[in-house]
Amino acid sequence: MSTTDIGPKGPVGQVGGAVVDHIDHRTGAKTGLTWFLKRNIPGETSWFQTLGFAAMAVFGLQAVTGIVLAMYYKPDPASAYSSIQHITNDVTWGWLVRGMHKWGASAMIILVFLHMARVFIFGSYKYPRELTWVTGALLLVMVMFMGLTGYLLVWDQRAYWATVVAMNITASAPIVGPYIADVLRAGTNFNSETLARFYSIHMLVIPGGIATFIGLHLFLVSKLGIAEPPWSKRATRARRAEEASARAAARERQPQGRREVSVEPAPQSVTAEAGQ
Amino acid sequence: MNRAQQEAYRRDYAQAKKEGKPFFPYAIYKDHIVAILVFAGIIGMAIWQRVPVGPPVYTATSTFEPRPEWYFFFLFQMLKIFKNQNALVPVIMATFLVPNILMVLLVGTPFIDRRAERRISKRPFALSVAILVFIGMAWLTYQGETGATPTSGGAVTFTGITPGSSAAAGQTVFDTEGCTSCHMLKGAGGQVGPNLTTVGTKNLGVDWFVRHTKCPSCVTPGSQMPPFAGLTPTQLQDLGTFLNGLGTTYK
Ligand code: HEC
Ligand code: HEM
Repeated sequence: MSTTDIGPKGPVGQVGGAVVDHIDHRTGAKTGLTWFLKRNIPGETSWFQTLGFAAMAVFGLQAVTGIVLAMYYKPDPASAYSSIQHITNDVTWGWLVRGMHKWGASAMIILVFLHMARVFIFGSYKYPRELTWVTGALLLVMVMFMGLTGYLLVWDQRAYWATVVAMNITASAPIVGPYIADVLRAGTNFNSETLARFYSIHMLVIPGGIATFIGLHLFLVSKLGIAEPPWSKRATRARRAEEASARAAARERQPQGRREVSVEPAPQSVTAEAGQ
Repeated sequence: MNRAQQEAYRRDYAQAKKEGKPFFPYAIYKDHIVAILVFAGIIGMAIWQRVPVGPPVYTATSTFEPRPEWYFFFLFQMLKIFKNQNALVPVIMATFLVPNILMVLLVGTPFIDRRAERRISKRPFALSVAILVFIGMAWLTYQGETGATPTSGGAVTFTGITPGSSAAAGQTVFDTEGCTSCHMLKGAGGQVGPNLTTVGTKNLGVDWFVRHTKCPSCVTPGSQMPPFAGLTPTQLQDLGTFLNGLGTTYK
């Protein structure tokens, strides 16, 4: 922010500025970032419009805590359970990282559902933001799959049998069900490969998909601009003006003699605003 | 929305933007406040409610229930509603038709509701759908949370089983193979599958139980019970004897 220019820049400032210019000249990074941050959004935004960002922030938290857990976790049936015990009981702050990852998962699910509810209530999925909604719906499915695949990794009784049942349910879907279940289980039965498969899906496949789709989602949100709450003061004012000018136009179309005398003549400025 | 309404929306939005404020710092500060509160909540919960480690897989205990994470309760519970009819059509309904219809409705929402109106007070149908979905999911989640809590009990004993008999060996197999995690015997065990306390009264025969345990879906199409193909013939025979007598010889 170079609002006030006070004298020549020091050598550090000069080098720094040159580096930034060099990079910007070739990538457009600075220009793009300035556009992203400085672009205008409607004046009245609601606190409910922060939920998507919060979900994204928790995704970042899950990635960081997940990486730390992966440093200690062993994805094979013989040692998975004891490695979780090791993380929980021995590793410094291990219980905290595991707890944050577990509670973070629940928080993310709640935030994503709340975010979706706000988008629905605000009618923000309507033109031109339909594809933003579609990418969001796919994100919801992927987030749910994260929960499913992550649950098994603890390899305790509860998680194990719950996942066995979930896979059997998958397998009972017609036509493709058995194939999907076989791919997920790495065979027709739960076996020792299953854990490694869930591990790689949970660690690589879905996070990659989520990151990609968050990128698309955010691109669409910033390109189309965040929707204005439909009951905001400005929108209400514009809607009133629109209705007034529609009424005025309807009156114009009436034959001269039958025109009602308008009580409050539509103000000039409002008609101009609505008509531009 | 027709072409004119779309153009009107674009014009209106351009105006809103013109009269608006820059994203940085006016919106992003709100985003960060909420995100920091959420982080604080997560860390607080992690400290306050330590995440435990359950018993390892394949321990003979009936004090747990195989249940998914709470955010899957509504799906499992929905499945149970269809599933309890125990016929092939409801199974397909629950695992194929219903989820796929829901998915199509979810993804397709912007293409189904194309009206220009955005104020929720002027969208009574959308509001009713939102309220119904919310109540439905909350109710199903609550049902899943409270409906099937495992009831722990001491070792379940049946009269008529003599130590060392085939049935006694069968009961041991039942306890050690994890059957208890899904099935109740005399009020102890999980509730994923049916209560088996009196399953013998169905007069299915030992052989039926042997075949069923090896491959449940071969005997009951669409069964969600996992196959136990790894058991030895003797174990299967013992188990079958035990199950076939439940409620008749062994009470
Ligand atoms: C993961 C959970 C699970 C485990 C473990 C399990 N079952 Fe089941 N079982 C079920 C479900 C679910 C059903 C209902 C089948 C259906 O979908 O119709 C069932 C059904 C049955 C039935 C048929 C009952 C009837 O009235 O038709 C028998 C018998 C049975 N199980 C015995 C066993 C035995 C023996 C074991 C241990 C070797 C066992 N189950 C382990 C889930 C399980
Ligand atoms: C991983 C999950 C998700 C993340 C990280 C995410 C992130 C975001 C962010 C940061 C925004 C900006 C505005 C805001 O915060 O409200 C946004 C907007 C939006 N999201 Fe999501 N979202 C997710 C899931 C979803 C889901 C499940 C849906 C609906 C099915 C959805 C539909 C939309 C739509 C339509 C907008 C545009 C709203 C507008 O412009 O006012 N998103 N999302």
